[in-house]
Amino acid sequence: MILPKFEYKRAQSIAEAIDFYTHFDGQARYLAGGTDLIPLLKLRLSTPAALIDLKHIEELKTITRQDGWLAIGANVALFDLKNDPLVKGYFPALSESLDITSCETLQMRGTLGGNILQDTRCLLYNKSLEWRTARGFCWKMGGQACNVVPNAQACFSNYCSDNAPSLITLSAQVKLAGSRGERTVKLEKIFSGDGRKPFALEPGEILTQIRIPLEKTKGTYEKLRVRDSMDYPLVGVAVSMKGSSARVCVGGVGLSPRVYNLKNINESSVKDTADKAYADAKPVLNATLSPIYRKKMVGVLFKRAIKKVQQEGVR
Amino acid sequence: MRTMKVTFQINNEKVTLQVRPYETLLETLRERLSLTGAKEACGLGSCGACTVVVNGMPLRSCLVLSPEVNGAVITTVEGLRQEGKLHSLQEAFMEKGAVQCGFCTSGMIMTAKALLDRNKKPTKKEIIKTISSNICRCTGYKKIVEAVEEAGKKAT
Repeated sequence: MILPKFEYKRAQSIAEAIDFYTHFDGQARYLAGGTDLIPLLKLRLSTPAALIDLKHIEELKTITRQDGWLAIGANVALFDLKNDPLVKGYFPALSESLDITSCETLQMRGTLGGNILQDTRCLLYNKSLEWRTARGFCWKMGGQACNVVPNAQACFSNYCSDNAPSLITLSAQVKLAGSRGERTVKLEKIFSGDGRKPFALEPGEILTQIRIPLEKTKGTYEKLRVRDSMDYPLVGVAVSMKGSSARVCVGGVGLSPRVYNLKNINESSVKDTADKAYADAKPVLNATLSPIYRKKMVGVLFKRAIKKVQQEGVR
Repeated sequence: MRTMKVTFQINNEKVTLQVRPYETLLETLRERLSLTGAKEACGLGSCGACTVVVNGMPLRSCLVLSPEVNGAVITTVEGLRQEGKLHSLQEAFMEKGAVQCGFCTSGMIMTAKALLDRNKKPTKKEIIKTISSNICRCTGYKKIVEAVEEAGKKAT
């Protein structure tokens, strides 16, 4: 498959990357591992004038402890992060979701920042230009219709990051750098809810760091997929527990992960929240399994994940 | 559009090339350097047939731009043979019959090589986990896993 024409720029610092972005009038995209971006370009789902390579910016590659936080550079590879002893010991939910993301070779190339900012997916969107032209463009491609749900006025694509849900259960924050300075926001706040532009980031903003409060948690990540070797999640449920309270996050269904807080974990509170998660999930026929099955599995995996953490005790 | 100058070391040989900024490493290998061991199958990073080892890491060359590998050290399946002798993985693949149509083989071997380079004695479970990065539609993986195990034993 042949790539469209674009220029390539290698940035040595965050400031230089933002300068390049301004230079190309916003018609550029940032490149980290490229495991999500390059296929999008090959399918002509994105046609930027330039790619700005962020891989050579040193400060994006480090994992550091900063007064009570673990600060992970956005360009840390998933594979390296998964083997970090702090992640294994403190954040089992993240450790499991990293291990189950795609396959090993892609984990070595893919970065945590890129995994969070991956584009939303749909069976009728991630297709070649010829296929899409024949079918007609949908909302996400700049058209006026949804090819999955007749008469829908919005996009129903799925956000398929495995690690964003587990990071959200760990109350992670993200640091963003742009031409107007730096800001830090809760991870769950970066989603726009609009399939045409899934992230509420300013033009040219770069995700530079992911920060997790350094407190020991118990947790797990449950993922529904067809092929265990490398599929995207069709439903993903992350749980992190501290004491008697838990945060649960459901991903893989819809445009943004949904988070649920459980103050006291007991049979009825788990059942009620799992029922709520089931009711909230609105999958449509845009993935490889039926929407009814995926919806049911939201409730099932929700309860299964909590049970698993309770049974395993302190991990 | 302007071409870019890139220099990298490939199979112990230093090369300098003018490449297009939107050229993948796979295209450079196959079309400019005639190293056709790495295959293009899906072109989207799913199958692993184009895997080469870059700086010790298995990498899908269809997802990597040639300008990105400026300064890198690359090994392709053509570079495994040393002084006329096949690599233990190549020997083991032949011995165990881990090749059928052969299209996935070079990717499998390069993925396995990167594994053996970082982990001299991988367990069967580790081999399966690594090899599941690559897609083979003929062999059912059993013989490939056996071959990697065999090569691991021989390497000592």
